[in-house]
Amino acid sequence: MNTIDGALAEADRAWRAYGVGSADRAALADDLRLDLQAAVADGGDPTQLLGGDIAGFARRLADEAGVRRVCGDYRRLLGTALIGAALGGLLGYAILTALYPMLVRIVDLPRSFEVPIQLALAVYYGVPAGVVVVGAVTAVRLRLRDLPRIRRTAWMMSLLMPAAGILITPITMAFAWSTGYSTAPEVIATEVAMVLATLAGATVLARRLSIRDRQEPSDTTLNTTEIKPA
Amino acid sequence: MIAADNEPTDDSDRQTQLLRGVLDMCLLALLAREPAHGYELVRRMEDAGFGAISYGTIYPLLTRMRRLGLVADEQQASPTGPPRKVYALTGPGRSHLDAWQKQWDRFADTVAGILTPPDHNPTRSCP
Repeated sequence: MNTIDGALAEADRAWRAYGVGSADRAALADDLRLDLQAAVADGGDPTQLLGGDIAGFARRLADEAGVRRVCGDYRRLLGTALIGAALGGLLGYAILTALYPMLVRIVDLPRSFEVPIQLALAVYYGVPAGVVVVGAVTAVRLRLRDLPRIRRTAWMMSLLMPAAGILITPITMAFAWSTGYSTAPEVIATEVAMVLATLAGATVLARRLSIRDRQEPSDTTLNTTEIKPA
Repeated sequence: MIAADNEPTDDSDRQTQLLRGVLDMCLLALLAREPAHGYELVRRMEDAGFGAISYGTIYPLLTRMRRLGLVADEQQASPTGPPRKVYALTGPGRSHLDAWQKQWDRFADTVAGILTPPDHNPTRSCP
């Protein structure tokens, strides 16, 4: 029985990587388990039966069962999000550069008025960060129109990326503080990598959540019907 | 030019290609005789003389035929073990089998007609 479980676990990983939804995976696995149990009762060995290439078998089975596949296409997603974020970063910097002197000229604050430092930081860094997120989400939404459920992915990104940014900012600041706010290239590179990795994680998570199956198996798959002997 | 060393592999490839074209028909024919579970079909194919056909080939094909409504399955209690998922031919499966069998007969006749040498081999006579 453990061998069956092991084979099914490997098949499940292959189905997951192949973009088969959870409901379809469960249906395929239930069917396969029944058949393997019958084979084992007749003296078969599941590993031998399925051969060395269980992943290949699982993909073939998914194809033959006609299940719907939704591919994550994470490489394209991350590349597009990165391009959008970079363009957004440039735009955000440009906005800030143009906006800051304009605001200084328009809003003539008296010398006695002190802007809270938190507010100043939030505006100074928040505006470019917001534009970075908007850039990444817009790029994904527009450039990856061919991917299924991309609208939902973009929506999830718009929620998760700011949350990831809020999460990683104090961590990065703490790291910077621990290095005495060093401007050494390797320290700066580490800080940038920390932020990018977190945003990439948020993007991947957004995609995973958006393509997660809604527990409805494919229409075409595995309807068990009554036997009508020929 | 095919080297003589490659002949066993070539035979095996040809056998695989031939089998690929008829495997679904053979499975339907076996199920028409008697319903069976997946592993049982593997053994029946072997007994029929096809040699070792892997379960990994037959099971996905059965799944496709089930999706197409050519076979149906049900769980049957087994006195010796867990319940068995047994496949049987459906009405559409029977119709398909009949049609495929006729097609196969025509095809095999045509091939045989080409492969079989004529009864009287005319010899060229010298003038």
